[in-house]
Amino acid sequence: MRIILLGFGVVGRALARLLGEEGQRLARSQGIKPIVVGVADSLGAAYNQRGLNILEVLESKERHGTVSEHPKGIRGMTGLELLEVVYSDVVVEVTPTNLRDGEPGLTHIRETLKAGINVVTSNKGPLALAMPALIELAKYKGMVMRFSGTVGGGTPILDYGRRLLAGDYIEEMEGILNGTTNYILTRMTEGLGFQEALKEAQERGYAERDPSMDIEGLDSACKLVIMANYIMGLRATLKDVEIEGIRGISREKVADTRRRGYAVKLIASIRENRLRVEPREIPNRSPLCVWGVLNAVTFKCRRLGEQTVVGRGAGGVETALSIIRDLIEVKRSLTKALEG
Amino acid sequence: MKLVVMKFGGSCLTDGEGILMAARLVRDSSKRGVRVVAVASAMRGVTDRLLEMVEVALEGGNVTRRVEALRTDHVEAAHRAINDSEIRGEVEGTILMGISELEKVLTAIRHLGETTPRSRDYLLSFGERLSTPILWGSIKALGLEASWMTGGEAGIITDSSFGEARPLMENSRLQVGARLRPLLERGVIPVITGFIGEDLDRVITTLGRGGSDYTATIIGAILGADEVYLWTDVEGLMTADPKMVPDARVIKETSFEEAVEMAVFGAKRMHPRALVPAMKAGIPVIIKSLRNPKAEGTRITGEVKVGEGIVKAVTIVRGVGLLNVQGLGMIGMPGVAGRVCQLLGSSNINIFMISQSVSEANISLMISKDKLYQAESLIENALLGSGMITDVSVEEDVSVVAVVGAGMRGTPGTAARVFKAVASRGINIRMIAQGSSELNISLVVKEEDGEEAVRAIHQEFNLACAIM
Repeated sequence: MRIILLGFGVVGRALARLLGEEGQRLARSQGIKPIVVGVADSLGAAYNQRGLNILEVLESKERHGTVSEHPKGIRGMTGLELLEVVYSDVVVEVTPTNLRDGEPGLTHIRETLKAGINVVTSNKGPLALAMPALIELAKYKGMVMRFSGTVGGGTPILDYGRRLLAGDYIEEMEGILNGTTNYILTRMTEGLGFQEALKEAQERGYAERDPSMDIEGLDSACKLVIMANYIMGLRATLKDVEIEGIRGISREKVADTRRRGYAVKLIASIRENRLRVEPREIPNRSPLCVWGVLNAVTFKCRRLGEQTVVGRGAGGVETALSIIRDLIEVKRSLTKALEG
Repeated sequence: MKLVVMKFGGSCLTDGEGILMAARLVRDSSKRGVRVVAVASAMRGVTDRLLEMVEVALEGGNVTRRVEALRTDHVEAAHRAINDSEIRGEVEGTILMGISELEKVLTAIRHLGETTPRSRDYLLSFGERLSTPILWGSIKALGLEASWMTGGEAGIITDSSFGEARPLMENSRLQVGARLRPLLERGVIPVITGFIGEDLDRVITTLGRGGSDYTATIIGAILGADEVYLWTDVEGLMTADPKMVPDARVIKETSFEEAVEMAVFGAKRMHPRALVPAMKAGIPVIIKSLRNPKAEGTRITGEVKVGEGIVKAVTIVRGVGLLNVQGLGMIGMPGVAGRVCQLLGSSNINIFMISQSVSEANISLMISKDKLYQAESLIENALLGSGMITDVSVEEDVSVVAVVGAGMRGTPGTAARVFKAVASRGINIRMIAQGSSELNISLVVKEEDGEEAVRAIHQEFNLACAIM
């Protein structure tokens, strides 16, 4: 399987390392020989139709800050140009999330599908803004588009939800979809103020320098949109979500809630086709009430009752693992399509 | 009265001088009492230039300068080739009309931003439609009666598969005969554009690259010509590429079967189907150099003369790669090879060679290098992990060495000699294929060993001094 990697940040590099280490095993167990034929970052690209030595590309990135310093690299070459010069089966789109216009990820995914190449992505921006259109495009071109890494990091929440639908109905869904805010709220429960907790989260690498995506609730909202489309079959985008972040929450409010046996959590929910992200009080004994950077989602099913999935929400390796899972799914679809 | 078809390739129609040489050859034959039909290719490089213009026009670019250069080249060629101001004036008029039509088509393409196979064929036809009147003028200026026409006007009717049209032979037979015989009987020399035909709706089609050879053999077969001459810039089919083997020689005589093998394996850029009409009609095809017409050239005939050298030629095919499919699961499982071929076929990937060990644990396929990775991914995606195969891999640094000769048929030990010659130079053979026709043995070797393998076989069979 020939892979083009667009974006070489935390997730892209973790994936590269994983492919380097696990490539052989994947060939034996899953029938996939992963060959990275091209990598692009914001400064340029490197490619080789025979396959790049991915560990060497990693080294160039770490030493020079860009893959274009690799012997097979070209400074200034874009991801779209890469699509034209090298043959691939799958494009892995892992550029940073951009909620203003989804770029460059949106164009990457669109052009990849248009060119008849399958897509795996962990980039929430394009999906949050244009998921129904991208799904339609993939279907029209007969291509596979997978994105399990966008929600739950390494925890396969999307496919778990999808499986529940077999023979049952999901009537409601709610969850903690953002680890950073959950960490901040956890520390506030333990007595810190909002600013202190945020600063600590930043120091530990959980929060970005500009933390607004997380604390304004946008990250959770993106994930909710993806779940709404993929699991609930709704045609939603980011503008359909009512969003309230956690910036205004005081230490006192958190302490008071705690005394009553509840906890303040940033909850994303879908109920009667309404998508909301807001701080809510939930009982301490609820399975949804997880602490630290954990994520949790509860599906309320008509017959099976409540099902809760808990897991680490983010992190490069976790997301890279979910991309590997997606690559295996792509391979299965391809095999199926080629049968008979 | 003897009748010959003479086709002049683009490689020798380099300029006015080249066209004049061609016209003189026609005159000399005609003076000896031979009836001649002349077929002209586009001048050297013109077809590629036209293709370039299409690309530029498609991107909305300006082609004025390129069209102007094309006009100048043809007008200059006419000046040099036609020694008669009246005829020259007429030809120039024809060129200018052609050029202005070409400009119109390019403008249309530029505005529409698209071409169809049909409009492409129309555009490509200008190469021959510009060169042929110059050859006609040159012949006429030498004092002969001549008449020029397109392939379609001469009566070549094809199907409508633009870009690679196939002649409708029986319909063509009626038309070509009706059109050309009266001219020939009146002593008029037909000068015909190569490469071009017309479909049943009289729309211009082309016979594919190298199609002028095809035009010549079609006309030769229909008219029952005594010989078809393909004039070019090489002295004939060679025992090997002289750039690789300095003592390679021109093959004096060979059979159609052998020539087809050589053509497929790249000895001359010939249309793969070009020899078929001549072969069916039993008309000898002679390949000769326009610059050196005294040299004998290569005569291709229906007779297979075995015993005059077992091997005729050694050629090399580059731009190919090896796809290896492995798996113990294939043993005793019918249909794996079929499945692999079917998968490749459905993706339009052509297989040049295939070989499978009796144990069935390995299948090797030779395919075009530019499709190699696509093929590997395809087989991986479809079959790896199914238990049927355990690995698929590619080797791109390989060449095919093809040994051609009808004499190999029924001569025991030929293959052994080939392998021994190659092995004695320390070259490892990666794959072998021999069809049951025994006309050809193909070996796959490392790319860097290819030329050495050719030299080894050339020497082993003494091709430098064999009498053929």
